[in-house]
Amino acid sequence: MTDLSQYLPILLFLVVALALSSAFVFLPMGVSRLTGTYKPTEAKLAEYECGFPAFEDSRSQFDVRFYLVAILFIIFDLEAAFLFPWAVSLGETGWIGWGTMMLFLFELVIGFIYAWKVGALEWE
Amino acid sequence: MTSIHIIVFLPLLAALVAGLGQRFIGAVASKTITTAGLFTASLLSWPIFIGFLNGSETAYVAPVMNWVQSGDLSFDWELRVDALTAVMLVVITTVSALVHLYSWGYMEEDPDQPRFFAYLSLFTFAMLMLVTANNLVQMFFGWEGVGLASYLLIGFWYKKPSANAAAIKAFVVNRVGDLGFMLGIFGVFWLFGTVSIPDILAAAPDKVGSSIGFLGFRVDTMSLLCILLFIGAMGKSAQLGLHTWLPDAMEGPTPVSALIHAATMVTAGVFMVCRLSPLFETSQFALDVVTIVGATTAIFAATVGLVQTDIKRVIAYSTCSQLGYMFFAAGTGAYGAAMFHLFTHAFFKALLFLGAGSVIHAMHHEQDMRYYGGLRKHIPLTFWAMMAGTLAITGVGIVGVGGFAGFYSKDAIIEAAFASHSTFHMYAFGIGVLAALLTSFYSWRLMFLTFFGTPRWAQSEHIQHAMHDHGDHDEHGHDHAHTHAGHDDGTAGYHPHESPLPMLIPLGVLTLGAIFAGFVFHGGFIEAETGKAFWANSTLFFNEHLMHAMHEVPMWVKLSSTVAMLTGLLVAYVMYQLSKDAPQRLASAFAPLYRFFLNKWYFDELYDAVFVRPAFWFGRLFWKQGDIGIIDRFGPNGSAAVVSFGSKLAVKMQSGYLYTYALVMLLGLVTAVSWMMVRT
Amino acid sequence: MELNASLSLVRPEIILSFSALALLLLAAWKDQAGRLISILAVAALGAAAAFTASALGSGASAPAFDGLMVNDAFGNFSKLLIYIAAAVSLTIAPRFLEKAGAMRAEYPVLIVLSCIGMGIMVSATDLISLYIGLELQSLSAYVLASFVRSDGRSAEAGLKYFVLGGLASGMLLFGASLVYGFAGSTSFAAIGLAMDKEVGLGLIFGIVFILSGLAFKISAAPFHMWTPDVYEGAPTPVTAFFASAPKVAAIALLMRVVLEAFGSQVLVWQQIIIAVALMSIIIGAVGAIGQQNLKRLMAYSSINNVGFILIGLATGTEQGIAAMLVYLTIYVAMTLGGFVCLMQLKDKDGNYREEFADIAGLSKTRPALAAAFAIFMFSLAGIPPLFGFWGKLVVFNAAVAAGLLPLAVIGIAASVIGAFYYLKVVKVMYFDDAADVIADSDDKVLVWTGGILAAANSPLGYFAIPVLGVWTAVAAKALF
Repeated sequence: MTDLSQYLPILLFLVVALALSSAFVFLPMGVSRLTGTYKPTEAKLAEYECGFPAFEDSRSQFDVRFYLVAILFIIFDLEAAFLFPWAVSLGETGWIGWGTMMLFLFELVIGFIYAWKVGALEWE
Repeated sequence: MTSIHIIVFLPLLAALVAGLGQRFIGAVASKTITTAGLFTASLLSWPIFIGFLNGSETAYVAPVMNWVQSGDLSFDWELRVDALTAVMLVVITTVSALVHLYSWGYMEEDPDQPRFFAYLSLFTFAMLMLVTANNLVQMFFGWEGVGLASYLLIGFWYKKPSANAAAIKAFVVNRVGDLGFMLGIFGVFWLFGTVSIPDILAAAPDKVGSSIGFLGFRVDTMSLLCILLFIGAMGKSAQLGLHTWLPDAMEGPTPVSALIHAATMVTAGVFMVCRLSPLFETSQFALDVVTIVGATTAIFAATVGLVQTDIKRVIAYSTCSQLGYMFFAAGTGAYGAAMFHLFTHAFFKALLFLGAGSVIHAMHHEQDMRYYGGLRKHIPLTFWAMMAGTLAITGVGIVGVGGFAGFYSKDAIIEAAFASHSTFHMYAFGIGVLAALLTSFYSWRLMFLTFFGTPRWAQSEHIQHAMHDHGDHDEHGHDHAHTHAGHDDGTAGYHPHESPLPMLIPLGVLTLGAIFAGFVFHGGFIEAETGKAFWANSTLFFNEHLMHAMHEVPMWVKLSSTVAMLTGLLVAYVMYQLSKDAPQRLASAFAPLYRFFLNKWYFDELYDAVFVRPAFWFGRLFWKQGDIGIIDRFGPNGSAAVVSFGSKLAVKMQSGYLYTYALVMLLGLVTAVSWMMVRT
Repeated sequence: MELNASLSLVRPEIILSFSALALLLLAAWKDQAGRLISILAVAALGAAAAFTASALGSGASAPAFDGLMVNDAFGNFSKLLIYIAAAVSLTIAPRFLEKAGAMRAEYPVLIVLSCIGMGIMVSATDLISLYIGLELQSLSAYVLASFVRSDGRSAEAGLKYFVLGGLASGMLLFGASLVYGFAGSTSFAAIGLAMDKEVGLGLIFGIVFILSGLAFKISAAPFHMWTPDVYEGAPTPVTAFFASAPKVAAIALLMRVVLEAFGSQVLVWQQIIIAVALMSIIIGAVGAIGQQNLKRLMAYSSINNVGFILIGLATGTEQGIAAMLVYLTIYVAMTLGGFVCLMQLKDKDGNYREEFADIAGLSKTRPALAAAFAIFMFSLAGIPPLFGFWGKLVVFNAAVAAGLLPLAVIGIAASVIGAFYYLKVVKVMYFDDAADVIADSDDKVLVWTGGILAAANSPLGYFAIPVLGVWTAVAAKALF
């Protein structure tokens, strides 16, 4: 049985934090519900935006192309991150290590070519 | 492949072709194939029989195949051919062939003819299996096979509730007998270690005097085995106690009654007792039981037959009574006489049934004799055939000169009963004579009511329907375009027609049998010298001494049955020809007795009270309380309810929302983790 | 050189990898050549299967890449099954996807990529290679599920599968990190050694998390919730693929992990497997009853069947593993056959139908199709003499032999509930009034595939038992 008792303070802290934050959120709600009057009108329920009426929905749509570019960026960025440990340990892995990475990069290039060819990199 | 293989398997082949292939080959081909198959089998059977009669054939066993090889139990599928089998072969194949032919006419308007013919052929095959059996298991196979075919044929008109009820009754009652038969076979195997009939018969004398524990009692082994086997015979041959199915079986088509419930299947019990006669000879007690049951059945059925009004039921009770004769013949040791009566009875009883069928056919399915009368002039050929049958069954003949078939066989039985030295032979003799009187009475009563006197058809609903239907066809120029009015002669304007040729030919052939079968064959069956030679080729125990003694009984014994016959005829004539109201007066004078006979000695009511009602009561108890109340409620219905509830729950949980799904996954994970924590 | 030896052991994967890359490039230039690329992909799978099959009979076991993977009879048998199932899924797809306007060249490429992942899964002997294989398979599958982008249901299926799959992967990874932390290695062999000693709660949690993650992949209850929605939403050929090849791979993977890594902690994993098996059987059987959609029905059927397969695993015996492999093989044939029948349900306008109401009285209008469908349903229900019965028989036999009699009894009882909805399909096809919406099939490929699979599921399948018995026995031996 592993000794988990060292983590006890953290658990206690979490419990305290949860209790306090709940109190801050729910206590005013409960008190106001009990003490105040509750008569909602349309104006009262409307969004409040610096005194102006809201112009549009707060959720706006992004162009899907942003996602595409972001995904492609992440892929190539993450794959490139492999190069750092490889470069550091290249002395030990030798030609096999070199060959493996070249193969990896070759595959990456094919993916890149595919992405290019199907037009994923074009904005319009 | 010998002729016996063809005889046995041709009907099976025909049944299969007609039964399974009827859609492809059509009704006429099915009928032709089965009928031709049976006639072929019949033509092949007679040479075998003749061969045994003149001594040119000897008994042999034709192998078919190895059947069962299981531990100590080992037997083959074989066809045993000996004198006893040969007798049955000719009876079965001949009557079956004639009934097939007869059915062409009788069943002409039935839509299911191929099925009918297939069943008939199937029955014939099963019956042949039974009589050619060389071991008890094969005999039991045939035994059950004929039971099945009988069930199917009684219930052939399955749209009639009464036919279904009769079929079930026949099946259930036979099951009681079959249980006895099965126990007998088990006992035989247990005792002798074999089911082969010759081996058993050879070993039986060694076991005399041994005893066996049965149901907590010590009983004599051979008596127990024989009585168990005899219970089987009682069921199949409708002996007193297990006879109730036979009259009801008349719900089947008349050709079936002739073939199965008169000539062949019901005689299987007699055949079995004769086949195993050396076994029965080892137990005098068993033979006494056979004698008493047979004799009592003979008189019982005859008394009931006196008062029946349905033409087929009269003949059915007559069959039952004649089977009683055969059994008490066997019980007194006259197996040859029993087989002889079986042989002659097959011809004249089949004749009577087919004749009755012809009458019914002519009378538009009216079966009640009270609505017959005066048919002699309308259907003369049927009348003469029936007359021959009646003369045969009543045993008309002159001592020392000759007579009809029944004269030889029935007199032989009565004389053998007198001459026998068994314990109850005088009881059997007395009953035999009395039953002969009653037989004569009800047979002639049937003849007088049906063929003589004036027509009484007008009261018959069937005839009225027929006339009504004909009325509807008037504009089509039908022959019988009469109107209803103006017929004071009791005919209601109906004109019975003689049956078509396919029905008349069998009647003719059987008429010859009813007249000559006794005269021609009595030598081989019951004469001391020739009989001994004939039966030596079989397992039948031929009591030569008894056969000698039988012919040396006093003259009054020989004449007794003839006198009884004449008395019966006279009484019937007086009651039904001379004095019209005698029957009514007699019935009211002896009202209790009349009712007793009319209600068949209250057997059905007794069984209803003792077996059927309690069985239904228990059935209902188990059904309502046990099955529905407990098993169904907590079993199928309960679990079905649980399942359908679970199904609804599962569907409800499948909300389609991702978070529900994720929640379920996490709950599962948390449960597993918690469980592991609790456990460690 | 050691690398060369390793590479020679993963020849099927190498073939498939290069084929996938080549086909991807081909797809980039020739987007409309879906059929051609499908044929090439099937050829590649065939070549890989040929290499796999050549090594099938031998009981030799060779580790590759320093113990990351292994080439043994078990892996080869599973791979062969996977490749065949994938090839069938490719063969039956084109016409369906063309109708949906989505017969794009990427479809075969994704299937091939998925197969590479599955090949790695079944031969992985290390948590790292296990995860790589699993993710390669899963990522391809997420895309395949939403392959018909224009269809809302397909997109929804892909998204649900992706999110829940991510959750499951998270569980698996968390469990793997726990196991690595407590056992000190990611190699199955090393974990197995660590398990021989007294194990702590941390390691047990690791086992539970890994098993949960894997249970998701084989859609075992209570990690099955995605299955009906994804099976219904995904294009039918893809569903057929999901129900067959990845199931084989994930179950094979589960077997290897449980027996090679956790083998000595029988008490821990056996309880979970039994619980999961029973829940799957019951939920699969009960849940299917209320369904109106045949694809959803097949989804519950797959949950149900996974439960039966897991009974074999619960035994932890060689006989049980061999029985599982037999069942898996038969299951693949049954379920592919079921989907092939489903894909033939087209109305006169060429639209695909998948509701109960559509197949009412099918036996009158399409007797051959109805008969084939009935064979698959009876076989899935495990009714003798169809081949599906044999699978259930060997599994229950193994359970009884291993002393798990109660489990076998419950399983058999639940299979009766399961029989209800299979028979309902047959009843609707044969005894209901004809709805007459299904037109004649014009797709010879489907007709032939369905016919062959129906023959395999019919009693003719029993002729395969001698061969199947030997192969599965050898394969099962490799795990012990």
